[in-house]
Amino acid sequence: MEKEERMSITTSSHAVVGTPQRPLRRGRENAILGGVCGGFATRLGIKERNIRVIFSLLTLFFGFGVLLYMTFWLVLTRSGEETSIIQGLFQNRREAQVVLVAFIGTLILLIALETTGVNASHGFAWPLVLAAFAFFAVWRGTSIDERTHLGEFLNSAPIIGGVSTTNRRGIVLRVVAGIALIIIGLKTLDHIGGVWGAAAPALLGTLVLVVGLLVLLAPWWLQNVRELTSERRERVRVEERATMVAHLHDSVLQTLTLIERAAANEGDVVRLARNQERELRQWLFSPGTVTNGSTSFVGLVGAIEHDIENDYGVRVELVTVGDCVPDDNVTALVAAAREAAINAAKWSESSSISIFAEVEPKSVSIFIRDRGIGFDLDAIPADRQGIALSIRQRVAQIGGEVTIDTSVGSGTEVQLVLPRT
Amino acid sequence: MVESTKPRVFLVDDHELIRSGIRAEIAGSVDIIGEADEVEAAIEMIVERLPDVVLLDVHMPDGGGQAVLKGVSDANANVCFLALSVSDAASDVISVIRAGARGYLTKNISGPDLIDAIYRIAAGDVVFSPRLAGFVLDAFSTGASAVGSELPVDPELDQLTQRERQVLRLIARGYSYKDIAKELTISTKTVESHVSSVLRKLQLSSRYQLSHWATERNLN
Repeated sequence: MEKEERMSITTSSHAVVGTPQRPLRRGRENAILGGVCGGFATRLGIKERNIRVIFSLLTLFFGFGVLLYMTFWLVLTRSGEETSIIQGLFQNRREAQVVLVAFIGTLILLIALETTGVNASHGFAWPLVLAAFAFFAVWRGTSIDERTHLGEFLNSAPIIGGVSTTNRRGIVLRVVAGIALIIIGLKTLDHIGGVWGAAAPALLGTLVLVVGLLVLLAPWWLQNVRELTSERRERVRVEERATMVAHLHDSVLQTLTLIERAAANEGDVVRLARNQERELRQWLFSPGTVTNGSTSFVGLVGAIEHDIENDYGVRVELVTVGDCVPDDNVTALVAAAREAAINAAKWSESSSISIFAEVEPKSVSIFIRDRGIGFDLDAIPADRQGIALSIRQRVAQIGGEVTIDTSVGSGTEVQLVLPRT
Repeated sequence: MVESTKPRVFLVDDHELIRSGIRAEIAGSVDIIGEADEVEAAIEMIVERLPDVVLLDVHMPDGGGQAVLKGVSDANANVCFLALSVSDAASDVISVIRAGARGYLTKNISGPDLIDAIYRIAAGDVVFSPRLAGFVLDAFSTGASAVGSELPVDPELDQLTQRERQVLRLIARGYSYKDIAKELTISTKTVESHVSSVLRKLQLSSRYQLSHWATERNLN
């Protein structure tokens, strides 16, 4: 026996040999079924095993031990609980009625057995049937905690459908062996004294008992299953929450910390906040889409928004209509648009840029507009890299068209249109 | 004509921080006649005070902006709503417009732009953000080519005219109404009437594609 030092005010529910403990309670930690034996062992300060042997021996006397056990199960309060099962039953009027009806049913069954003469030959039926009734009462009145304990007990018991269901061969073996033994036993009885006649009602009785047990246990079993489902659902919810917490921690919380640190630098704060805002929007409203790039036109254009805001601290208002899988030409068009957006971010002195990108059946167009200082198109030397090479030439190569609409003081708009084949 | 030109504005938002931020930005230019932080109180006070413009938060407990729109329209109060939200998810935008809002802006709009929008709403106009214009274009264009839509198409309500498309495109490109008028060589009033008619179609069209499109866009 393990020795446990408990500092709690409740009495330990472990038996300590040589130390009787009051009051008499059904055991919790040392319970196998109802904890009756464990409770007596704790109360008397002797080993549980001894009490169990006594109850088993008593069972030999017409099943008296079982009946006694069930009675104690009903009337003794479980360690750590407020009321005994029987008290609990009679506190609830509906439960009390159910148990009363069951008790009357049990009496009728006993009278029926008496008249068929089963009891005369064995004497086991009375205590067994009463014990079955008591078990029913236990089942109705027991606490959730104890039910869980009983469920675990039944699941670990070596019965068909128990924990060993994974081992199919074992089950088959057990069933076959069991049936064979029953047949052999009956044959033997038949040989000894032709007891078939007497065995028939006994078999019937057993069958009734088994069916009765099934009926009793079925609702409990179903409830167990239901609780399992709801528990699983709860677990899914907890997992979802965990993912969300992880995401918020990695993104929002980190950014907020960064913002606190960069509080002195206005540009950095805006950039960080914008970056986080975009990411959070993406995560909230269009999960699944990954803006890492080349799979969609919208993703490619989105990358421009991201980079411009990051690198230049200029706000980009991006609107897209339609989408397509970008081919080389569309990719080149987006590259030109990126160049135009970078120009706007660098030179326009505007705090925001509008990008409108539309995919139509016959064309793909991107418009980059700022409300900045604008410039005189003719005053720029024809060989200047940015506009000439990166934008005009690139778009001309793929058969597209560039229009630049600008004048000093009224902002700039670069229009890129690519016909689709 | 001096005092009365300031529109009377009512604020609905469940976040005190946002309300005070908006208040600080617009207080000088408009007349804030009240604010509410929950749906029921908002409906009651709006019906009682009849502001020119209600700045309405979309996401609130107990049904959000849509519940306020419904409550006020059930009371037959003639009030203009401008939805103001942090969300620019398609389903949020489309649903609140269809519930009766006359404009939709995201909360990161600048103060002067917001004031401008309030004045336009108060004057009976419609305020489309570039993004909302993009949504409308997307919703109406994908619907037009949708195969197997058994619902009868009402050209009056279910399709945009060429001109309306042009206007929406320019809004999406970041043009102001004045710029659009100049670009298309029409009057600003005509631009406004085009946008109003788009809003009407958006609100009255029975096409299931609209909502379908909005939810789908959120999914993928």
